[in-house]
Amino acid sequence: MKIGNVHNAKKVLAQLLLLAVPTVALVAYLLWHLNLSYQILQNDWQKQALYFAGGIAGAIILYSYRFRFITTAALLFVVYYYAYRSIGNVSVGEFDAFFASVQFLIFAILFSAGWICGFGFSRSRYFTVFWAVFLLAVQIVTASKTHTITASAIISSFLPTLAYAVYIIYTAELIRNMNPSERHFGWFVFKRLAGFGLVLAALFFLLLQTFNKNFQAVEKEWGQGQGKYDQNRSNQESMTKENRDGSVGNKDQTQLTGSLNKGKRLVFVAKLDNYFEDGKTPNPLYFTAYYYTRFDTLTQTFETDTKMPDNDLFKPDPSKIPIYFAKTDSTVIKNAHATKARKVVTADIYKTLLGPSEYVAPSTAFFCQPLPVEASYKDQYKSAYRAKMWVSDLNSAYFIYNPAGNQMLEQFQEQRFKTLRQVTDFTGIPESFKQYYTFMPKDPEYDRIKTLAQEITKDAPTPLDKMLAIRDYFLSKDEFDQPLFKYTNNPGVPGMPSANKLNYFLFENRKGYCAYYAGASLFMLRAMGIPSRIAAGFLTVDRSSKNPGWYWFYEDQAHAWVQIFFPGYGWIDFDTTIPDLEAHESEQPDGTPPLNMQQAYLVADGHITSVDTTTKKLTMSVEKLLFHDQNYESTRPDTLSIDGAVAQVSADSGAVPFSVLRKGMHITAASFAEALKDMTANPQESMADVLKRVPKPAPADEIKIIEEEATQQPHKNMFENIQPVNWLKVLATVLIVAAILIVLVFAMPWLIWQVIHARAKGNKATPQSAYHKYRAALYYLNQLGYSRHQKGPGDYARDTDARFGTAFYTFSNVYQKLKYSKQPLTASEEAVVAQFYTPFIQSVKKQVPLRKRTAAFLNIYNTIHYFTQPK
Amino acid sequence: MEQSIAIEQALQNIQLLIGNIEKVIRGKRPQIELILTALLAKGHILMEDNPGTGKTVMAKTLAHSIAGKQHNSEVNFKRIQFTPDLLPMDLIGSHIFDDVHKEFVFKKGPLFCNVLLADEINRASPKVQSALLECMAENQITIGETTYPLEQLFFTIATQNPVEMEGTYPLPAAQLDRFYLKIYFGYVDEATELDIYKDYLGIQNNLEHTQQVLNMEDILLLQQQAQQVHLHDELTIAVRNIVSETRKHPDIVLGASTRSGITFLKCLKAFALVQGRTFVTEDDLQLITPAVLDHRLIYRNKEAKQKALASILNKEMERLSKLKLSH
Repeated sequence: MKIGNVHNAKKVLAQLLLLAVPTVALVAYLLWHLNLSYQILQNDWQKQALYFAGGIAGAIILYSYRFRFITTAALLFVVYYYAYRSIGNVSVGEFDAFFASVQFLIFAILFSAGWICGFGFSRSRYFTVFWAVFLLAVQIVTASKTHTITASAIISSFLPTLAYAVYIIYTAELIRNMNPSERHFGWFVFKRLAGFGLVLAALFFLLLQTFNKNFQAVEKEWGQGQGKYDQNRSNQESMTKENRDGSVGNKDQTQLTGSLNKGKRLVFVAKLDNYFEDGKTPNPLYFTAYYYTRFDTLTQTFETDTKMPDNDLFKPDPSKIPIYFAKTDSTVIKNAHATKARKVVTADIYKTLLGPSEYVAPSTAFFCQPLPVEASYKDQYKSAYRAKMWVSDLNSAYFIYNPAGNQMLEQFQEQRFKTLRQVTDFTGIPESFKQYYTFMPKDPEYDRIKTLAQEITKDAPTPLDKMLAIRDYFLSKDEFDQPLFKYTNNPGVPGMPSANKLNYFLFENRKGYCAYYAGASLFMLRAMGIPSRIAAGFLTVDRSSKNPGWYWFYEDQAHAWVQIFFPGYGWIDFDTTIPDLEAHESEQPDGTPPLNMQQAYLVADGHITSVDTTTKKLTMSVEKLLFHDQNYESTRPDTLSIDGAVAQVSADSGAVPFSVLRKGMHITAASFAEALKDMTANPQESMADVLKRVPKPAPADEIKIIEEEATQQPHKNMFENIQPVNWLKVLATVLIVAAILIVLVFAMPWLIWQVIHARAKGNKATPQSAYHKYRAALYYLNQLGYSRHQKGPGDYARDTDARFGTAFYTFSNVYQKLKYSKQPLTASEEAVVAQFYTPFIQSVKKQVPLRKRTAAFLNIYNTIHYFTQPK
Repeated sequence: MEQSIAIEQALQNIQLLIGNIEKVIRGKRPQIELILTALLAKGHILMEDNPGTGKTVMAKTLAHSIAGKQHNSEVNFKRIQFTPDLLPMDLIGSHIFDDVHKEFVFKKGPLFCNVLLADEINRASPKVQSALLECMAENQITIGETTYPLEQLFFTIATQNPVEMEGTYPLPAAQLDRFYLKIYFGYVDEATELDIYKDYLGIQNNLEHTQQVLNMEDILLLQQQAQQVHLHDELTIAVRNIVSETRKHPDIVLGASTRSGITFLKCLKAFALVQGRTFVTEDDLQLITPAVLDHRLIYRNKEAKQKALASILNKEMERLSKLKLSH
């Protein structure tokens, strides 16, 4: 019996090399992956890959002959069955038999998979598509078994399968469509595959290049998602948030959770010019970022409230303010309602980890002036600003950690308590204000807090004494002379998930971190009608005697405490969090403070109009100008040329080279030049007058880039820009693109016709023109649905003439003569060529109604049919 | 100049011949053209169809239209009705003892003629068939040691009957190959048929008094001129492609041979001349391919018989129609 073959040897070889080998490689990789996740596979992926390889190779070779699948598969199963039966006979011992049969099962499954795969490659056209989908499904299952979700893990598990899927579908089709009798078969295949590979590689490269940042952001997001997941598991919370670029800031809400996460990194350094009455003992103040005035009982979260009455929170974005230019908000001072014992205090804040747009300052801040960082400190401090505060003399960080033995401080403490004791009630303040800041949730659970507060403070006459009573309650000892409350970062959670965590803290657990103490204090105070709120920010520790007034802030200093409103004196900080007795680690030391900046004589703010990076010169249109602390502003910007040879260029992210500067960027240039020192400012002058006086080009020492939406560089702060996806917009874009594509597809026959028609027009009788005319006529007839369809040109032309009354047959004969004869055309024949086309099209047009023509020209199939070879 | 006059004359002669035959055979112009193609290509033709479609009359008319060597004589036309008991010597002749000269003399059989009508060729035994086909190929007969050349103009019209296949010996593929063309005679259309019925007496009369419009020299000259017809290289390539495609096509068991390819070219040229042209065109290729190739191929099944060759030809025609002009 001779069995005919389906494919010849070349094709089989191509299938083995180009389809089977990559498939086996990928399956080996998948098996390796699967072996990591499934015990039953016994970690023997090499052997398993070999089983599969055997199956696929056998099937491809076998099915290249005209064998039927069902009979051969049945035969295979019979072989399996008897092999399986024989295992039972050969193996001794029950366990051996079981082990061997499992091994055999794995073999049978993998060999069969290879077998089916080989059959599919050999016989079925669309098998590769199903196969690729199947492999991807397997990969999804495997990936879901792995524990870490990182971008690299995802890519490593999906990219090979994805690339393989694309490759196998393309290659299978390529092998299927090629003519194996082609002489340079191998070269043909290689050429195609190499081209395809190049395109694919370029595509992947471009994708990775373009979306690399996004991948990282996504990875981070996933990582955070994972972190969130971990947090939910351990119920962990942090007092600070981490921005996408790695910088740190306070959070605008704090949830009461079972555990607190604290980092040890330096966040910022500040110089605070607040001293006690003696003028030299530094008086540290807590740095405030937010006020929490609301409490969400459902999620047990303290939140900021934009509708807070008499908002006294000054929250500018220092990164958006030009250096040396100040932003001031005097309504804050008004809203602070503090008239007694207040003064203006200055603080210089140098950021390290703190985000560029974060602003922290002791309350009540009303002024922000970004400053440049001195050149030698640029690596250490990314940016700096000066803050001014309307500070109460009665405010101080010395509240809980009262330095015993320091007479002056004890005196101060006594003094301020005395002053504050003068406030006995809150009658003078507006009712709505009082109502807002004494609001408590209506719930029996909070009544319990109220009862406790009243019990603790039953002997305290004034609000301050009540506050001190609460503080003392937290510091009090129980009957065994043990501290009643403890500080811990891991207080744990009540057994009931919905239970009130503050009650759990106050009455059962009695362990917690700052948010618990602040929260409990807040509700006890509010229960007694004392207006209060929680402040979030950083607590300040005075650790340095070398640099008085300088304070270092680390991540673990992120803090929450209460503020009480004393009429006339305003909001005063009180910290009820007790010290962590179990903390053994040494505190981080203070470092060396950065140098003070020089006085800037000229500061110009505006946009770059031209820049020359080689000579480091630029011109800018000045919109705002500071000259010897005199502020000039102009609606009509004036140009100023600047010499940046010695200038330090910086952005929010730190120092950058001069070459970063581009036309149109928003910058602020500052000059400390001696040449400007002796000049004086005249308030009557206009900005143009000042600019006329300064030397040209003006020497600049500092250039700060203000990052605006338009000038932001794509590689920087990309994550800040990630907008939420507007799905409607995406959908609209997709629909529009799809519509354009569909219109293009339908218009294609007509567009092609226009090209062909344009070439055929005219009365020339050259062979070239005859060719175009003939082709145009064929295209037109074909598009109208009268295709040649297995007729010779003569017959076809005759039929056309019969149908439309044209002279196609005559022309066709002349054309044939032109094409196949050596003889030149006679004059009459040339006339036939010249006069054929236009009347032809016209008479066809006349015969076919417009509606039918339109419909025919929308039919892309006719066009495809015209250009493709018949099967 | 002289040549072009000769060509003009040739084309006229062909039209004359066709016109003459058409007086008797009506509504069969394509078949007449194909028969003349075979004649001018120095080949032979196999006609297959039901009885009574005019095959024999066709052959007769053709023979009567051509004058013989001597003036006023027509060419030698013989008709053999093939039967199972026919012997080769009935065709080629035999040595007969001459009583007078006391020796064996060769009595020429009916093969020694100009136009031979081999009626129902598939009814004869293979032995007789092969004897005939050998003559057709070699144009000579060898008996014993003597070789007798056949006439310079030797044209065989064989017919085959597709019905009543019992007791027949279908021609083997190798022998079918000897026929340049195989045509199906077919019935005429209804209008022509009515026309024939109305005028059957006239037709009868025409047949009996067929004019001799050409003489044998004219035919031999036409055969020569058919070889001079211009065949474009692309068409030669097309023939090559078609022939080689028949060998690759999955539904064709036996493809066309190289000899068929050469026959193909000859027929193309002759057909172009019959069409009144001195160059071959795509139309010629389209019209003649089935007649040249169909009987030489062995198909896998009946369905393939209808489709395979048409698809090969269609593909090639598509290629040709897209060709740019080479000059």
